[in-house]
Amino acid sequence: MRQLLALTGSDLLQRMRDKSVLIFALLVPLALMTVFNLVFGAADDLEIDPVTVAISAPADDDLAPMLTGVVRSLDDADELDVTVVETDEAGARRQVEDGDTPLALVVPVGFGEAARAGEPVTVEAVRGDEAGLGAEIVLSVVDGVLDQVASGTVTARAALAEGVAPADVGPLVEQATSGGPAYDVESGQASDEQLSAGAALVAGQAGLFLLFTVSFGVTGLLVDRESGTLARLRSMPIPGWVIVAAKALVSFVLGAVATGVLLAVGGYLFDADFGSVPAVALLVLCAAAAGTSVMFLVVRVASTSEQAGIVTSIVALVLGIGGGAFFPVSAAGALSGVLDLNPVAALLRGLGTTSGGGGLADIGIPVAIMLGFAVVMLLASRLVPDRGVLS
Amino acid sequence: MTHDVLVVDSLVRRFGDLTAVDEVSFRIAPGETYGLLGPNGAGKTTTISMVAGLIAADAGTVTVAGEPMTPRAIEPKRHLGLVPQELAIYPDLTGRENLTLFGRLQGLRGSELKVRVDEVLALIGLADRAKDRSKEYSGGMKRRLNIGIGLLNRPTLLILDEPTVGVDPQSRNAILESVEALSGEGMAVLYTTHYMEEAERLCDRIGIIDSGRLQAEGTRDDLIRLTGGVDTIRLGGSGDLAAAAEELRLIPGVERVDAERRSATLTVKDAPALVAQVVGTAADCGVTLADVEITRPDLESVFLHLTGKGLRD
Ligand SMILES: Nc1ncnc2c1ncn2[C@@H]1O[C@H](COP(=O)(O)OP(=O)(O)OP(=O)(O)O)[C@@H](O)[C@H]1O
Ligand SMILES: [Mg+2]
Repeated sequence: MRQLLALTGSDLLQRMRDKSVLIFALLVPLALMTVFNLVFGAADDLEIDPVTVAISAPADDDLAPMLTGVVRSLDDADELDVTVVETDEAGARRQVEDGDTPLALVVPVGFGEAARAGEPVTVEAVRGDEAGLGAEIVLSVVDGVLDQVASGTVTARAALAEGVAPADVGPLVEQATSGGPAYDVESGQASDEQLSAGAALVAGQAGLFLLFTVSFGVTGLLVDRESGTLARLRSMPIPGWVIVAAKALVSFVLGAVATGVLLAVGGYLFDADFGSVPAVALLVLCAAAAGTSVMFLVVRVASTSEQAGIVTSIVALVLGIGGGAFFPVSAAGALSGVLDLNPVAALLRGLGTTSGGGGLADIGIPVAIMLGFAVVMLLASRLVPDRGVLS
Repeated sequence: MTHDVLVVDSLVRRFGDLTAVDEVSFRIAPGETYGLLGPNGAGKTTTISMVAGLIAADAGTVTVAGEPMTPRAIEPKRHLGLVPQELAIYPDLTGRENLTLFGRLQGLRGSELKVRVDEVLALIGLADRAKDRSKEYSGGMKRRLNIGIGLLNRPTLLILDEPTVGVDPQSRNAILESVEALSGEGMAVLYTTHYMEEAERLCDRIGIIDSGRLQAEGTRDDLIRLTGGVDTIRLGGSGDLAAAAEELRLIPGVERVDAERRSATLTVKDAPALVAQVVGTAADCGVTLADVEITRPDLESVFLHLTGKGLRD
């Protein structure tokens, strides 16, 4: 045990002195994050002009205020500045014609009733000449709300069939339609398994470079063989597994620390919050274990450190791209199952869950995938004939 | 014989079709320095790799301090100090850190470790450079550090694989001196080289290895006897060398004289003992000598005699 720690410690010390780990594990991914953020992040920086929406609705319609409320609530979103002016139908049209507002919504008489009766509902939108991106966003949200109203309709019908008093239907519809994701422009993507753009960038690069970082440990066995130090280590009175285990520990520690630092620094720089620290830490440890296990296969397949570098790059890019490090990947059928077993995908998925507020209890599946992957890799590496460094 | 530090018995190692080590056997007694002398590719490093438990033998056994040596063995490795042919040091660690790491792996700890590291640093003359990373060392300093690591555990058997290759004459001499000193302290040494002068100077016994086979073994004198053990005295000068040759043949100990017009070559038993008498006789016969040259057989001649080729290509 003392010897294992001595060997691991000295190896880590060397990796720190040899700047290549620092460059590969931290500087390159941070630089890439910055570049990608500049390229893909440009869309986020679009200036959206403040938008005023004139809404007219029949005074006695009980569903119309809900629609008005949703549009008004858009004002809370960071990027949007929405002002609602309630007026009558003629006033709304006139405001658009005069160019006072870029958008008017005219809720027809009988809107609420039609919705409740399960009939198609329409809201007339009047767009001015200068309606910009803001108006488009408001419109698309209203579209989404109308879709929800359709589902609300179904709820109402079902409720009636089960003998709910018509007077109670209104609150039920509201219940069914409120809180639905389409209202929530702020979180954009609805699912809690999905990361925001900045967080996806940070997590993706962290996941990708984890696979490069771990290669500084285990594949160091090949370097040691080439430099003759492996022979010297083998002449020492220590069991052979200690030498291999020390390198695996180095991989694991470097991988876990680098990923942790990347998530923290990247999260700070690009304004991403990954949520529960213990849960994120567990995900990082599992990912580091999975990454380290890949290196055992690499070190068996490669016979020189140069080959190992090439194989590592291939594996990292395949797993990284397949796992969605650069952009979301989806596949159909059997392949999608395979993609889901990718540890990078599992890491991103787990981070999606934690950033959506999930804790330790919610990341069982990604954790199981990463640990399972590690076990499979270790078993698989035993099947490949040894080329001498793992004895 | 049971107290031998190292017993190598019928060792065989193949690489594909090549038999790099072929039925090699030898023993080293405590305090003895044993040299494996052979040209490039003879199988020295391969033999040593099996002795140190780095690679497995295809056949045969190695016993170090009474314990069987295999790649998985741990006990016999405690008795071993290995100085590999290629530098085996970590360039990003300082000299002290290198020594400390390998000392720990050899089981030293605490103040014992610190004291020993300091001792070795002094021994290899790197005390004042101990804090520099070894990649900043000169070639000779790296070699010394490489040797120092092998000395940390005060091994019963020190294995040195061509430790002087690529070293300047001064450092080389320092290395040879320290090997002599260690051997004087009772350490058994297995020393490989393709320099016959080193083998002659250091080794109590020498094994001559070529193409994986131990061709002959013994003390320097044992080996030289194999060549027939004759010296030559070559005389060069002017005068009647042919007439002188008749007189020279009569000197006891002179086995043969080949005379030419301006030179004569004598085959004798013991050249240093006879040279004065030979020179005197030649002068008496009116020969004016310009030069006298004595040649005694060395390990080079032994190697030539055994294998029909020179030690160096
Ligand atoms: N790992 C290996 N794979 C294949 N052949 C090998 C291997 N190691 C050594 N050999 C071969 O075995 C033979 C003996 O090599 P070895 O290194 O033992 O020679 P050596 O006596 O140490 O030579 P040198 O003085 O050049 O160091 C050589 O022909 C060499 O090519
Ligand atoms: Mg050699």
